[in-house]
Amino acid sequence: MGNKQTIFTPEQLDAYQDCTFFTRKEILRLFYRYRDLAPQLVPLDYTDKPDVTLPYELIGSMPELKDNPFRQRIAEVFSASGDGNMTLDDFLDMFSVLSEMAPRDLKAYYAFKIYDFNNDDYICKSDLEKTVNKLTRNELTPEEVSLVCEKVIYEADADNDGKLSLEDFQHMIIRAPDFL
Amino acid sequence: IFHGFYAEEKLVGNLASMSASERIKAIQKMPETMRKKREISNRVLKEITRKSRRRGAGLSCCTGCLLRAAVFYRRFENVLSESFGRLRLWHRTLKIIGAEFGTSVLSYFLFLKWLITLNIFSFLINFSFITVPQFVAAAPNNLPFTGLELFTGAGYFQETVLYYGFYTNATISKAENGPSYNMQLAYIFSIGGYFAVCFLILLFSMARSFYRNFVNPLVHPGTASKLLCTWDFSVTNEKAVRLKQRNLSTQIKEELAGVNREVLSFSVRERVVRMVIHLVSWAASLGTAVAACAGIYFLSINNLKLFVEGRKNDLATEAAMLVLPVVTSLLNTFIPFFYSWLGRLEGFQTPGQQIYVTIVRNIILRISIVGILCCYWLNVVAASDSQCWETLVGQDTYRLVLFDFVFCLLGCFFGEFLPRIIGTTCSVNRGLPEFDIGRNILDLIYAQTLTWVSVLFSPLLPGIQIMLFSIVFYVKKVSLRMNCQPPRRFWRTAQMTTLFILLLFFPSFLGVLSVIGVTVWRLKPSEECGPFRGLPSMFAAVSEWIRVLESYAVSHWVVWVYHNLITSELFFFIISTPVVFLIYFYWKIIEGRKTMARLLHMLIIN
Repeated sequence: MGNKQTIFTPEQLDAYQDCTFFTRKEILRLFYRYRDLAPQLVPLDYTDKPDVTLPYELIGSMPELKDNPFRQRIAEVFSASGDGNMTLDDFLDMFSVLSEMAPRDLKAYYAFKIYDFNNDDYICKSDLEKTVNKLTRNELTPEEVSLVCEKVIYEADADNDGKLSLEDFQHMIIRAPDFL
Repeated sequence: IFHGFYAEEKLVGNLASMSASERIKAIQKMPETMRKKREISNRVLKEITRKSRRRGAGLSCCTGCLLRAAVFYRRFENVLSESFGRLRLWHRTLKIIGAEFGTSVLSYFLFLKWLITLNIFSFLINFSFITVPQFVAAAPNNLPFTGLELFTGAGYFQETVLYYGFYTNATISKAENGPSYNMQLAYIFSIGGYFAVCFLILLFSMARSFYRNFVNPLVHPGTASKLLCTWDFSVTNEKAVRLKQRNLSTQIKEELAGVNREVLSFSVRERVVRMVIHLVSWAASLGTAVAACAGIYFLSINNLKLFVEGRKNDLATEAAMLVLPVVTSLLNTFIPFFYSWLGRLEGFQTPGQQIYVTIVRNIILRISIVGILCCYWLNVVAASDSQCWETLVGQDTYRLVLFDFVFCLLGCFFGEFLPRIIGTTCSVNRGLPEFDIGRNILDLIYAQTLTWVSVLFSPLLPGIQIMLFSIVFYVKKVSLRMNCQPPRRFWRTAQMTTLFILLLFFPSFLGVLSVIGVTVWRLKPSEECGPFRGLPSMFAAVSEWIRVLESYAVSHWVVWVYHNLITSELFFFIISTPVVFLIYFYWKIIEGRKTMARLLHMLIIN
């Protein structure tokens, strides 16, 4: 309404606003952040929906993600092709879910997908072991890691099949108010 | 998770039947990629236009107009929210603090910001309804201004709008037979209205906090939730991340080792010894609190004697007035150290227990100090033969608030700046100090309690407190980034925030409400100053007004409300009995659901 920007059509901006938790200004700011990663690849005109994908290395070097131990999994989960290369849509999606305005069950759903390393819709013991190693930076011995994973599965597995399904995980998250 | 074509059709149908804002919220919450969401959104719009077209061609242009109007309205809403978003206070600073130190430290700053907004609200109400009319009818101020007033609050400030004593009891009117402004009613109603709104705000925040953070855990949250749920995804500083990883691994090791520790049960003799140790420490802490209160009480009585007898305005008497706030702040600073030392000595089973017990002891100390001061003000000062006792109380609170602020800054200097210098130059093993979240939030609760007590006696003190809190915000922020490291222990942010809001509501706010209640209903206002001079009690202004209203036919409902609802005991009994029943009923429902969940869990496993 009065902002003379030529990057998106008004309908595109409205569609972005409807699908993410961001306002117009925030979407434009995110677009500029996306573009700053590779100014030569990203055009300034998105009205004709160009098909531009940025490689994972650029995304992973952003200051918000650089030190996050799960940055590779986050990029893989949110990228449409599953290999960490992200289009602008994926980029906006990712930040929308990671923002503080996203509801907890949405975050829990994506957290489940991030922790599910082998993409089989269950968090099995090997997924948990990889998670623990990433969270503690390999400071625990393999026996301790294994013990911890067994405890986690014992406590959270409601239907006793040896792995955590999405419902088990969401049930656990609901009981932990500190999850962000 | 949406598999299948028919599930999608059903979803589109559901979305099409919702209102526009609900639909947008539902689409935003869907865990799908953007492309899928756009697809679904387009299909929903097509479905809506198809439905409206079916209802009749005559209506289709109307729906087209309505759709366009809805889009226009949404764009207007966005512009409004964007311009208000710029007014969000300290948004960027808070994000940076959260990124470098985690959400536990951030909760302190959010609490501070929330208290500042409560004070801004109080200041606006008092300023617009009480102070501005007073400026119109102000008497000239003939006292000299020396710099000492800023510390003692007396002297020149005595005859300004800062204190209760200056306000007139007249009905102010600018022109003859023009609209008049009854200062007495304005005073009571604005302060009463502010406390009522504060009560509702606190009640709702507490309820929301409880609801979000205290959902009944069926099982004691063990390693599982600690592991997968306490990773603070908002931390982006490399050092902080590495520290968090090290902490998590230490905690996991402790937990694994602790499993073996819990298995040992204590022998009877050891249990008795532990109980005796706990009793002795509680006795010591309560004893110190009682001693502190007694000391403050006798000191203040002496002060009053000095003031009433002396009545000289020289430097010695003014300096003597500062002794009470300095002593109070000193006690508030050093006794908590004693409590933490006691806590460490006692040897609790979990560090969480130690934190809770220390917080409870600290809050008992501070609330009893405020309590004893209120007792002194209401019993001794109000009955003394000083000229204007409310102004005296206002001045006391001004000095207490000011010196609490000064000691807070000093505490920041000695507690964070010096240890950092020592930690980096002399003994490098100690490392940087940590930000003591619990202690700082309790300081805030104490300062806010004093401010609330002072609203009646010094209507502009919340405005001063806003300034002091803002300075504290900046100083703490700078000190945090310069001197502190991210917290090492796991601090259950959500539960602790709920606890602190509960502490703010229950001992602090309700205590202040009872003090204000006693003052308004029971105490005799001073004869020579203030808006209620000459009346038997402050509430008498309202009863007189009701008597005046009885003669007007239009306002009979107000009189009826007053006689039958506000002043009748039967009404409160009728209200509180169903409330108690409701609470008991809900509690039983929760218990029943817990049992049901346990049974279902058993069924699923087997």
